[in-house]
Amino acid sequence: MTDLAPNSELAIDARGLVKEFRSVTAVNDVSLQVAKGEVFGLVGPDGAGKSTLIRMLATTLIPTSGDAYIFGKSVLSQPHDVKPRIGYMSQAFSLYGDLTVAENLRFFAEIRGVPRRDLAARSARLLEFSGLTEFSKRQAQFLSGGMKQKLALAATLISEPDLLFLDEPTTGVDPVSRREFWRIISDLHRQGITVFVATPYMDEADRCNEIAFMTQGDIILRDTPAGMKRRVPGRILEVSLPNYREAMPLVRSLPYVKSLEVSGEMLRVLIAREEEVPDAEGQLTAALSAAGFKVEHVRSAPTDLEMAFATLIPSAGAAVADADADAEEILAVAE
Amino acid sequence: MRRIWAIARKEFIHVIRDPRLLMVIMAMPLLQLFLYSYALSFDVKNLPTATVDFDHTTQSRQYLDALQQSNYFQINQTLTSYAGVDKAFESNTDKVVVVVGAGFGSNLAAGRAANVQILVDGSDANSAQLARGYTAALSRVYGSKVIVNQVEAKGFSTSSVPQLSSNTRVWYNPEGKSAAYYVPGLIVILVTTVLVLQTANTLVKERENGTYEQLIVSPIKNIELMIGKIAPWALIGALQIMLISLIGIFVFQIPFRGSVLLLVLSSLLYVSCALGMGLIISARAASVDSANQLAALVAFLPTLMLSGFIFPISSMPWALQAISYCFPGRYFMVITRTIFLKGGGLEVLWPQMMALAIFAVVIISLASVMYRERV
Repeated sequence: MTDLAPNSELAIDARGLVKEFRSVTAVNDVSLQVAKGEVFGLVGPDGAGKSTLIRMLATTLIPTSGDAYIFGKSVLSQPHDVKPRIGYMSQAFSLYGDLTVAENLRFFAEIRGVPRRDLAARSARLLEFSGLTEFSKRQAQFLSGGMKQKLALAATLISEPDLLFLDEPTTGVDPVSRREFWRIISDLHRQGITVFVATPYMDEADRCNEIAFMTQGDIILRDTPAGMKRRVPGRILEVSLPNYREAMPLVRSLPYVKSLEVSGEMLRVLIAREEEVPDAEGQLTAALSAAGFKVEHVRSAPTDLEMAFATLIPSAGAAVADADADAEEILAVAE
Repeated sequence: MRRIWAIARKEFIHVIRDPRLLMVIMAMPLLQLFLYSYALSFDVKNLPTATVDFDHTTQSRQYLDALQQSNYFQINQTLTSYAGVDKAFESNTDKVVVVVGAGFGSNLAAGRAANVQILVDGSDANSAQLARGYTAALSRVYGSKVIVNQVEAKGFSTSSVPQLSSNTRVWYNPEGKSAAYYVPGLIVILVTTVLVLQTANTLVKERENGTYEQLIVSPIKNIELMIGKIAPWALIGALQIMLISLIGIFVFQIPFRGSVLLLVLSSLLYVSCALGMGLIISARAASVDSANQLAALVAFLPTLMLSGFIFPISSMPWALQAISYCFPGRYFMVITRTIFLKGGGLEVLWPQMMALAIFAVVIISLASVMYRERV
């Protein structure tokens, strides 16, 4: 299949991409097809190789081996045909802090060959679109984090790319700006632009048409968000009890509990399917009560991507659990 | 073309919005100009001198008077023994001590060799060397005068005796003005410092800020990026050369005897070399810090030390002389001095111009190749 001629109907057609940095393999033989018009999410823990993969697809990094075709053009041999059609927003803020909002837009428009007559109209529209019109004369370094990201997106969109690479675009951005950012992405999606977005946030992954889980340089799962959730082998119970931290070892040791995570003041427990363990709610309550815990309530909850991620990818699950434990530690100390 | 202009305009905005950078570009040249021209004076006149006269004869007094009258020595104390010499040097009261030994007068009168001892404070290498030269010359002049007197005293006529006399005259810079020597050289130093450093920095900065990646994903050619990046600095370099030249000519009154066109042409070549070096550094350096260090190492220090700006190349060890050929600064140094002070044209400067041209081509080609590799 990988020997077939590049398909220009695909927005992205990566074949056996490998990137090694000295002794470390950051991306290990990734093949991936993304259809035109999708919003494709790339999910995985830090260090999974997401940024490296995106940079290779966006022509800023040359793969150690393998190739990728963007709209049928090779990133290796035809980068000049690829570049005009893509936009890439890197993880770190990558505009000129000492240039104003308008100057940044103009600069990127000019080096990307936006026709002179279109410049004013496009700038105005993008500024409007990103809510930056009133800040157009402000130097980019004096914008807030969310505004910076929106400006970066606007600068990326000024050349009207057909495919947009976004590397963790909302990291470090407040929730309101995040929501707004995703509203913009939805608009782009409606206009038929293909979006390839790496994100550490499960709620953002949930908004994509399709997602791929990436860990240790490999894409190990790919599905729609709903399909991903259906893969979870069991169902979720939310258990609420006062001293839930002490109860965790006991809950984890129960034979029908597959995994466990802390969510707010509750435990989210992944239980084997209904047909295997009938009335898990009752069994769990009984076990906890027998050990002297005062259970407030146990109720069934929908599976989410976080749980899917944790159960489907053991190593990633461990990473998530660790991060949660750390967060809990910090909270405990703060209290 | 539009992309080149876009990059160049952006670079100008960077410069204009960075007050520190503006200071470096505009104030540093002026500061250096005044420092080198006023403070670092190599002219030696009125050297503080002490004398020790163990002879106390008419001849010894005549000799010491001759020293005093030469203007080069300022005799400010008369010591009675060697014991005072150390103190005179240590307290920096004197740089030179002239000792006339006992028997100076009687030896001369008897037609024997008479000796004078010159003690020089070697801790100030420049004054020391000059003082040695002056005293030796004066002693020779005085010595031949003595011979003539003696010969005449013995009844011969000296008019029939051919005399060997040497008249030293300094051409091109007859007054020995430091500024005349430094201003043309300073052009080389300043252009090197500012241009190499800044071009080395701008690209590395883009890389550190992540904006470099945004440039790469744009359909911009390396050559467009390179030209756009260096064009503003070429202009700034040209302005600096003009500024220093004008200040040199009108404030320090140094001569400008050569062709303006040749200066412009050679400046263009040298500016290309400097910008190319900057680009090479930025292609290799991992951070702004290492870019600065590399710039100092491959551009600033060699140009300061090995171009003949301060130390004459001909008096360097052969190994350093050989290395000095590898840096374009030495050629441009000869060119600027020749144009300013001697008025020499292409007929004498063609080897240096050729060398600069070759350097420019090689460095710029190397820079564009390394630049491409980086992407």
